[in-house]
Amino acid sequence: MAGLLARERIVAKPGFNRWLVPPAALAIHLSIGMAYGFSVFWLPLSRAVGITAPITCPDTMSFFQRMVATTCDWKISTLGWMFTLFFVFLGSSAAVFGRWLEHAGPRKAGVVAAFCWGGGFMISALGVHLHEIWLLWLGSGVIGGCGLGLGYISPVSTLIKWFPDRRGMATGMAIMGFGGGAMIGAPLADILMKHYATATSIGVEETFITMGAIYFVAMMAGAFGYRIPPAEWSTAGWAAHHRALTTEHAARRSGMITARHVHVDQAWKTPQFWLLWGVLCLNVSAGIGVIGMASPMIQEVFGGRLIDLPRVPFSALNETQKAQLATIGAAFAALLSLFNIAGRISWASLSDYIGRKRTYFIFFALGAALYASAPTAGRTGHAALFVALFCLILTMYGGGFATIPAYLADIFGTQFVGAIHGRLLTAWSVAGILGPVLVNYIREYQIDRGVPTAQAYNVTMYVLAGLLVLGFFCNLALRPVDERYYMTDEELTRERGLLAAAGKS
Amino acid sequence: MPEIDPSTQPPAGQWGLVAVAWLLVGVPLVWGVWNTLLKAAALFH
Repeated sequence: MAGLLARERIVAKPGFNRWLVPPAALAIHLSIGMAYGFSVFWLPLSRAVGITAPITCPDTMSFFQRMVATTCDWKISTLGWMFTLFFVFLGSSAAVFGRWLEHAGPRKAGVVAAFCWGGGFMISALGVHLHEIWLLWLGSGVIGGCGLGLGYISPVSTLIKWFPDRRGMATGMAIMGFGGGAMIGAPLADILMKHYATATSIGVEETFITMGAIYFVAMMAGAFGYRIPPAEWSTAGWAAHHRALTTEHAARRSGMITARHVHVDQAWKTPQFWLLWGVLCLNVSAGIGVIGMASPMIQEVFGGRLIDLPRVPFSALNETQKAQLATIGAAFAALLSLFNIAGRISWASLSDYIGRKRTYFIFFALGAALYASAPTAGRTGHAALFVALFCLILTMYGGGFATIPAYLADIFGTQFVGAIHGRLLTAWSVAGILGPVLVNYIREYQIDRGVPTAQAYNVTMYVLAGLLVLGFFCNLALRPVDERYYMTDEELTRERGLLAAAGKS
Repeated sequence: MPEIDPSTQPPAGQWGLVAVAWLLVGVPLVWGVWNTLLKAAALFH
């Protein structure tokens, strides 16, 4: 088995078609992307004991007693901790195991990710069976979260090496899969839960087992589909361009794309790493906050205007009208998710033509303007404009994720781009906490001070615009890495020798 | 943009494999996007 996974075994033979690598990467990203769709399990799991309705735990029960209680149901807020665990462990595992991945190769990393993600579902199924919440946190949250991190970064370096001429497009295709995973997983989970549900079971345990098996097979197929290019492989035109970059004059002219390499242990000591960390963190913090509040936001901002009751605020609507608004809110969230994945492939591909720095300039300048315009669209009742603004914002949120690996490859070279990307993903973990906390806190603070709910998001929008302005300056400050951080030819030869030795083990 | 070196071009048979691989990931993705579009359509009613 170890030989089968070795880096040496996956070097592509002459004539291999590089277009086979993106679907392999997509198989993994579409599987782990289900992390975004886990909320589909919250409502059924919140009545795992009561089946038809939740059985509330007594107030006298402590936090730890609730964790192992089998006679009363879990709260949705307790289950929601899984999201936090997902993103914390995604970032941490990508940062910790990124360097190992560069040596072990993408297939071994993909297989480990498949065991973690698929196995996490199995442990969670056991947690549902025994009604032990800590098993769900451990299974899907911690172990599954490590699978997320490894699976997410596993194809990055490989794709960039296969597509030196289309770095953005190649990584954009894979990262689009992460955004699209929940679109497949959430309706599939819904179908499976309905299929397995009985008078004595909510069907989640069987659904976890089925989905765990499906994801395991899909991710293993993806991992075994990975091939790395032989050392001498390149596209003809790119090879000529690459050679030109090695001259000092051409390097100066090309500006932000290096033909050299920075070691992962040096990369995080450069100001460029931390500027890019800020770029990712600020872009994600703004977008993730919107994703979390999209549905309630449109309902509260427009209230009755969404259902031809222009003078009725959200708080004055009856239950039937609120149900109508909830459907519209869910539709808005669904539309945003479509624009999120569309932005991943389109912006990342566009960045191959206009350059990474210009692409992020657009994200931050246009994004800030759009956030700042949202309160006006809300105040004047232009729902279509409001929806259009946020659709465009979400394309740039997705585009930010998908373009960052190519930006890293441009700045730090391709030798350690997977490992450097892994470390940069800690910015996502921070943003995953910062964005929603910021948005929720400001909204509640506004409401507590007597601001009507329709206007409670205005300050939030200006704060998010401010985050993007900060991101704009981080991007503006980015310059090529200082000469002293690049690997020397001897260091590069030694590193490649180590890789070859690791590949044979 | 640079052109591909003809000596690295894959044999014709590999393009069939490419089509199968893309279908395997493309069909579920299109199904997911279609489901989401149906859900999003409520916004325009």
